[in-house]
Amino acid sequence: MNNNLYNINMKDLLIIRLILIFSLTSGLAKAQDDLLNSLDKDISEDVHYVGYTFKSTHIINGHSVENMKKNQLDFRINHRFGELNSGLFDLYGLDNALINFSLDYGLTNRLMIGVRRGTYEKTYDGSLKYLILRQCTGKRNFPVTVSYFTDLSANTMLYSAPLQRRLSFVHQLLIARKFNEKLSMQLSPSFVHRNSIQATDVNDVYALGFGGRYKFVRRVAFTWEYFYCSHTSKSDTYYNPIALGVDIETGGHVFQLFITNSRPMVEKGMIAETTGDITHNGIYLGFNISRVFALGKNKENVKE
Amino acid sequence: MKKVLILLLMSLFFCGFHLNAQKYITKEGHIEIFSKNPLFTIEALNKKVASILDFGNGDIVATTLVRSFKFHEALVEDHFNENYMESEKFPKASFKGKITNIKDVDLKKDGDYKITIKGTLTMHGETNPVDATGTIIIKDGKVTGKTQFNVSLAAYKIRVEESYKKSINDEIRLSVTFDYAPMTN
Repeated sequence: MNNNLYNINMKDLLIIRLILIFSLTSGLAKAQDDLLNSLDKDISEDVHYVGYTFKSTHIINGHSVENMKKNQLDFRINHRFGELNSGLFDLYGLDNALINFSLDYGLTNRLMIGVRRGTYEKTYDGSLKYLILRQCTGKRNFPVTVSYFTDLSANTMLYSAPLQRRLSFVHQLLIARKFNEKLSMQLSPSFVHRNSIQATDVNDVYALGFGGRYKFVRRVAFTWEYFYCSHTSKSDTYYNPIALGVDIETGGHVFQLFITNSRPMVEKGMIAETTGDITHNGIYLGFNISRVFALGKNKENVKE
Repeated sequence: MKKVLILLLMSLFFCGFHLNAQKYITKEGHIEIFSKNPLFTIEALNKKVASILDFGNGDIVATTLVRSFKFHEALVEDHFNENYMESEKFPKASFKGKITNIKDVDLKKDGDYKITIKGTLTMHGETNPVDATGTIIIKDGKVTGKTQFNVSLAAYKIRVEESYKKSINDEIRLSVTFDYAPMTN
């Protein structure tokens, strides 16, 4: 008498069990994956605004497109030392330093105001930087971030001249693109007007800046910057400012170490009055340090 | 044998159907991350987490963009994305798992139901198991799921430099609150 009604032997039973286990578990996993994939379109961002194209308000000598956010304060101390080939006695130029102190404050997320004092011609200057357009991806695409920078400076050297004669004006349009987390580049068409100049000089200087950064390890990036200026080809006194360096970024500080041929830090001096001839000892060490303080909480992100 | 196999295949085929009436969805779930030590407090809120909960079989999935975690300070948020989570390389974080005691929850009866969740969390390119307890709150036909559990940064290969180890704990607390609505499709 065959009590095995369906003629199932042990081998068949094993096969049936394996099919059951396999299909039930893979069916479960597939179901969860399907559910997960169905949510993908629900989480995609509407518009992503690219931030931190550069890690601070300066590329090296010149301003970057970056602003301080609302209620953020950037305290900067910029140094340009003496000639690098000064030898050990002068600490390779470190003993001969020009210094610039500045405070930049975010009035709004788009508008930053700055005040600064520098050793070069004992200059006091005030500036405004306005973020016009932001690079974005997603529902809306825009390839670059665009800012406008303007600076009004006055030298306070002890020679007799009314205030007006001491003034200089700078206007810059800053256009930058963050290609990815490693690489950002910027173009800075610039205009400098100086109210008083040397007899052989020109009041108006036009320039085009090229600058960028390349992050090669976490928190450290190579930086470069060059301004092609309208007056340097007709002059044997002035040169196009160039700088090459490294940015080190920590919690709230950015340290910028570099070599440059430009010692005046105020924009009118950097663009129009760079006298460093790189073929004749005109190379100087530079060091910028930036510390950002958040003076108020970002109210948008307060927890409910 | 052939009859058994046919019966088997048919029953598996029917198992594949899920009753949609049992599925609940949220597209604005909240997850908060928190970690505090004397030197630094990490606090961020993500209000754009999507999740589906299936009351039929207890399946629960959730996914979100890492960039949707918002911090008080823009600089901290930038470091979170660029240095730690590497959001450019790993834009999403997702969870899939099961509420093991889903049968204990009665959708028709208001109340707080304790649940256990078992699943896996994938973020920063790493997947690790998650075992947590939570609550499902049924009130006036609304379903809310809440849970809290810790994740270890090292387990997800999130690298903290030696000099920052004193400011950033390895254990980060995740607090989840999902307000679900019935899925309609």
